[in-house]
Amino acid sequence: MKKIIVRESQNFDCAPIKNEATFEIGQNENIALYLYNIEQVNSLDFEIGESSIVQLSIFAQKAINQSKITANIGKNSKITVYFADFTTEKIHLDASINLNDDEATCDWHLASLSEKNDDKVISVSMYHNHPNTHGRIDNYGVCKDQSSLVFSGISHIVKGCHQSTSHQNAKIVVFDNNCKAIAKPILKIDENDIEASHAAVVGKVSDEHIFYLTSRGLSVDEAKLLITLGYLKPILKGFNESTQQEINTLIEGRL
Amino acid sequence: MATLRINNLHVEVEGKEILKGVTTTISEGETVALLGPNGHGKSTLLNVIMGHPRYKITSGTIFLDDLDITNMTTDERAKAGLFLALQNPAEVPGVINSDFLRAAVNATSEEKVSTYKFYKMLDGATKELKMPFDLATRSLNEGFSGGEKKRNEILQLLLLKPKIAMLDEIDSGLDVDAIQIVADVIKKEEENGRGFLVISHYARLFDLIKPTRAIVMINGRIVLDGDTSLIKRIDQNGYEFIKTELGIEIEKEQAQMNTVSIGTCAVKESIKK
Repeated sequence: MKKIIVRESQNFDCAPIKNEATFEIGQNENIALYLYNIEQVNSLDFEIGESSIVQLSIFAQKAINQSKITANIGKNSKITVYFADFTTEKIHLDASINLNDDEATCDWHLASLSEKNDDKVISVSMYHNHPNTHGRIDNYGVCKDQSSLVFSGISHIVKGCHQSTSHQNAKIVVFDNNCKAIAKPILKIDENDIEASHAAVVGKVSDEHIFYLTSRGLSVDEAKLLITLGYLKPILKGFNESTQQEINTLIEGRL
Repeated sequence: MATLRINNLHVEVEGKEILKGVTTTISEGETVALLGPNGHGKSTLLNVIMGHPRYKITSGTIFLDDLDITNMTTDERAKAGLFLALQNPAEVPGVINSDFLRAAVNATSEEKVSTYKFYKMLDGATKELKMPFDLATRSLNEGFSGGEKKRNEILQLLLLKPKIAMLDEIDSGLDVDAIQIVADVIKKEEENGRGFLVISHYARLFDLIKPTRAIVMINGRIVLDGDTSLIKRIDQNGYEFIKTELGIEIEKEQAQMNTVSIGTCAVKESIKK
C-alpha cells in the first residue's frame, strides 16, 4: 500500500496509485486536499490525527467499478468531504467514516448525476465509536433515462457514545419513467443520549416548485433545469474556480 | 392603463366547483382589497388568475387589456405583467435566490439585464425592504422565517415590476415594523401605476395601504363591490350582515368534524347514521 504523508494543501493526481493508498494527516493541520483521477484506485484510506481540519474534494468522471474510501478521524478533528460524482456507466462506491475520539466530526456532501444506462450504487456510512462525535451525510442525485441510482449507508452510534449527533439526508430527483432511484439512509442507534435523524426523498420535480418559478416568468423547462441544478450545484463550493467551471460545463451539457 | 378583466369565471378542482361565476376588474394604479371568510375562493381566484395548473376553468374569461389570458401558461401570464405573492412561498433547496431572481428578471424583461445592472437593482430593492443582502445568496426561501419569505416575495415584485400584482395574505408572518415597510412599498408602487389585488384578514394592512376599492367573495362569487367602508364594517362586525341584508347563506368552510375519535367505536358510530 502506498503511504502519502500530507503536510500541505495540494491537488493530487491519483493515477500513479495502482491499487490502494493511505493519506496520513498529522496533528494541528489545516489542509485542503483535491483528488482527481481516482478511477483506478480500489481503496483510499485517510488517517487524521488530533485537532486537524481537512477538506477533501473528489471529482470523479470515469467509471469506477469498485472503490472503497475509509477515514479514521481523531480527537477534535473535522473532515469535510465534497464528492462530485459525474462518472459515466458505473460507480460502486463504499465509504466508511470512523469517528474515533472526542469531537471527531465529518460532513459528507455528494452530488451524483446518473443518466443513460448508468449503474450507480453509493454507500456512505458513519460510525460513531466514541462519545461526542458528529456526523452529517448529504447525498443529492439526479436520475435520468434508464439509469439506476442507489444511495445507502448506515449511521451507527455505538452504545456509550452519548452526546453524539448523526444526520443523514438522501434526495434524488427523478426525470424519466424508466429510471430507478433508491434512497435508504439507515440509522442504527445503540445509545439514548444522542441526536439523530434521517430523511429520504425520491420523486419528480415538485409541481408547486414549478408553479412558483413559472409564476415569475420562467418556462417549465427553465424551471425544471434551475431546480435540478439546485441538486447538483451546491457541491461546487468544495472546489477551486477552474474545477467549478469544469463541473458547471459538464452539468449544463448533460442536463 | 392596464386592466385585468375577469368575466363570469367558473373554476373547479378535482371535480368540485370552487368559483361560481366571478366577475370583477382591477386596473393599474388602483388597490383592491379582496375580503371574505376562509374557504370561499379568494386564494383560488388569485391562483387561477396566475394560471395554476391544479385548477380547471370550466367557463368564463380572463383578459389583461385586450389579451385573452384564460388559456395562457403561467409563465406567459407573468411575462404579460401579472404577479402573485404567494401565501406560503415554496422552499426550493439548492436554487440560489439571486440566481432565481436574475433568471426571473431576464425572463420578464425585453432586454437581458447585465450582471452589474442586476446587482444594482437587487441592492436597491433589498435596501428598500431593509432585508439583509445575504438572503439573496441563500437557497430560495429555505430556512427563511415567515417574515423573510414574505419580504422576499415583495423583493420579487420590486424587481419584476408587474402591471397587476396579487398579494395573498402578505401580512401574515410580518411583525409591525415589517408590515409598515411592505405597506410603504405597496403605496409607492401604486403611485408608480401598479395595480394591486390584496387578500388580508386584518384591517391593519388595509389601514396602511388605503385601498381604493373593496370586494367581498362569498360562496365562490363576488357579492359586494364597494368603497373601503366595507373593510371597517367587516373588521368590526364580521360577515353576518351579508346574510341579513343580502339574504345570502354563508356556506361553512368544511363539513362538520367526524364524530368518531379516540375512545369511540367507528363501527357503532357508522351504524347510528
